[in-house]
Order: sequence, then structure tokens, then C-alpha cells
Amino acid sequence: MKIEIIRETLKNKSLKKEFALITNLISGDSEIFIPGRNLTGMFSKYFDEIEKKFHSNKSGIIENSEIFVQIFKNPIKVIIVGAGDISMYLIDFAKNLNFEIIIVDPRGSFASKERFPDTKIINKWPNEAFNEIETNSKTALVTLTHDPKIDDSALQYALKNNFFYIGALGSKKTHEKRCFRLIEAGFKKSDVEIINGPIGIKLGGKSPSEIALSIISQIVSEKYKNKV
Amino acid sequence: MSNFTEKKIFEEADNWLKKNKRVSLATVVQTWGSSPLGVGSRMIVSEDGNFLGSVSGGCVEAKVVEECISLIKNKKVCKKIDFKVSNENAWEIGLACGGDISIYIEEIK
Repeated sequence: MKIEIIRETLKNKSLKKEFALITNLISGDSEIFIPGRNLTGMFSKYFDEIEKKFHSNKSGIIENSEIFVQIFKNPIKVIIVGAGDISMYLIDFAKNLNFEIIIVDPRGSFASKERFPDTKIINKWPNEAFNEIETNSKTALVTLTHDPKIDDSALQYALKNNFFYIGALGSKKTHEKRCFRLIEAGFKKSDVEIINGPIGIKLGGKSPSEIALSIISQIVSEKYKNKV
Repeated sequence: MSNFTEKKIFEEADNWLKKNKRVSLATVVQTWGSSPLGVGSRMIVSEDGNFLGSVSGGCVEAKVVEECISLIKNKKVCKKIDFKVSNENAWEIGLACGGDISIYIEEIK
């Protein structure tokens, strides 16, 4: 493979483009496939198959050929509301899992650059912050402040916008009250039941890093369950 | 998917090349049965045997490193290697998980 192809792959990833890397396993030639753009040389013969693989998000060798297609789709996005201790550990785990992270917290002293270097931080209330974030069915929301003033508007936004995962920190009691408020605000009981609360899978741990581990495990599990 | 993302592996490949090292890239292109890592898992190997990333759960890496180095030394463009459980050699290498994998290796130029 030519180093130029590797550099182009890195560039496309940093520009958040979705694309495929195609390799002829006999000749060693490679090319980048970008949807809507034509391919050159012998790869153009396989355009339809490559496009099909791209849309079904299935990397692999095209049947009866020696053409390998590796698809690069954008990673899942995890929006964390609340910039406390648990968030710091969550970010560490999420980075190794290749998730994109955005922290939202209107309290500047919490969501500071010093506490969260190299992380995208939005120092606004969730309803304002969501104007700046593109969300879709590959987005997850984790609310950690357990302050209804901050968490509730974020939860409402996620419920309305088809997030694949919504989790809220707080005890069973806190969560009951939260569900009650959301139903009061007009959400159906069946919608509110989507929220993972108390958040995380049962590990038995209590420390911030253990809670972060249980949250990130739940996100990974939901990611595969929902084929995100 | 390997622990190292393509980003880390490709960036490091670029760094190694900038240091005038010869580097080959190994990619899992096909799997059957219970293989440890999925299609698209990658590893880079420099001519001096340094490597980053993985293509299995440690079962075939040593053999892949060896193949990558000989690919560079013999100035070959690329090669596909199949590791099968039914292959006696594979047992020695230790693909004990019961899966088969195809690994494609090529030099980065």
C-alpha cells in the first residue's frame, strides 16, 4: 500500500468522512472509495459490490474476487452531561474504545480545560448545547449531575431524538422521581422506560472508576444489541 | 477490532516511514469460526521487528511478524497467508481458538 493512501485515510477520519479502503489482494493496489464518487482502473468493475458492502457496513472480501473492502464509519458519539469524577474515568475508557466524547456542563468550574484536557467541552445548559451537537441513532447520552435542572432537559432531548442509549445516574428513588417528572412533561411511560436508571450494569462497585466501568460496559452492550 | 485503532496504527506507520524505516502492514481480511479478532484488524511491523497492533489474540503474531520481515527483505509486494486449524503448522503456531483466519501482508511505500 502506498503511504499516500494511509495519509488520505487518516485525513478522511479526522474530517469525519465515511469511506472505504479497497485493496486488490493480488496486485497490492489500493484506493479510497467515497460514496457518490467513481473508482478508477480495475476497481471500477466492482463498484456495485463495493457500494453494497458500504451500505450494509460489512467489511470483507467481495465474493469470487480478490478485492478486500474495509469500511470506515464514524464512531459512536457519547454525550456526557456533568463534568465530575465519574466523567474523567468514563473519558479514559471511552477513548480506548474509540468513542467520540462531548462533555456538557454549565458549571464552568467543573467542565474546565484543566480538568478535561483534549476533550470537547460545551460550557452551556444542555438545551443550548444541543444546538451545537449533531445527533443521530449512533448517539448515546449519559447524565451524571442528578440535578433535575441540568439533567432533565438533556434526557428530554435524547428521548425525542432517537438516541441508541440513554442512561441517568441516581438511586432507584431518584430515578422514580425523574420518570414521574418526564411523564408529567408529556412523555409516555414506555418512552421513559428506555432510560437506563439507575445507570450501568451491576458490578457491585461504588467508586467513581467502578461506576464509570459499569456505565461504559452498558453502552458497549447496547451498541451491539442495537447493531449501532 | 484490535485495541489499537487504525488511527494509532496508521499514524505510527507514517512516523516509522518518516524515520526511513521499512514497514509492512498486516490485515485480517477473512475469518471463519471463532477467530479472536475481526476482519479489518491490523498490525504494522518494521524491518527491525518492532510491531504495533494485533491480528489475533496473540496466537499468530510471531509468525506474522516473521512473514512481514521476510516480505520486506525479499522485496515482495504482498502476500496472503491462511492460518487454518486443520493445518498442522497452525497448531504449532497455536491458533487454539478453533477458528481460521486469512491475513494479508504488504509493504507500505
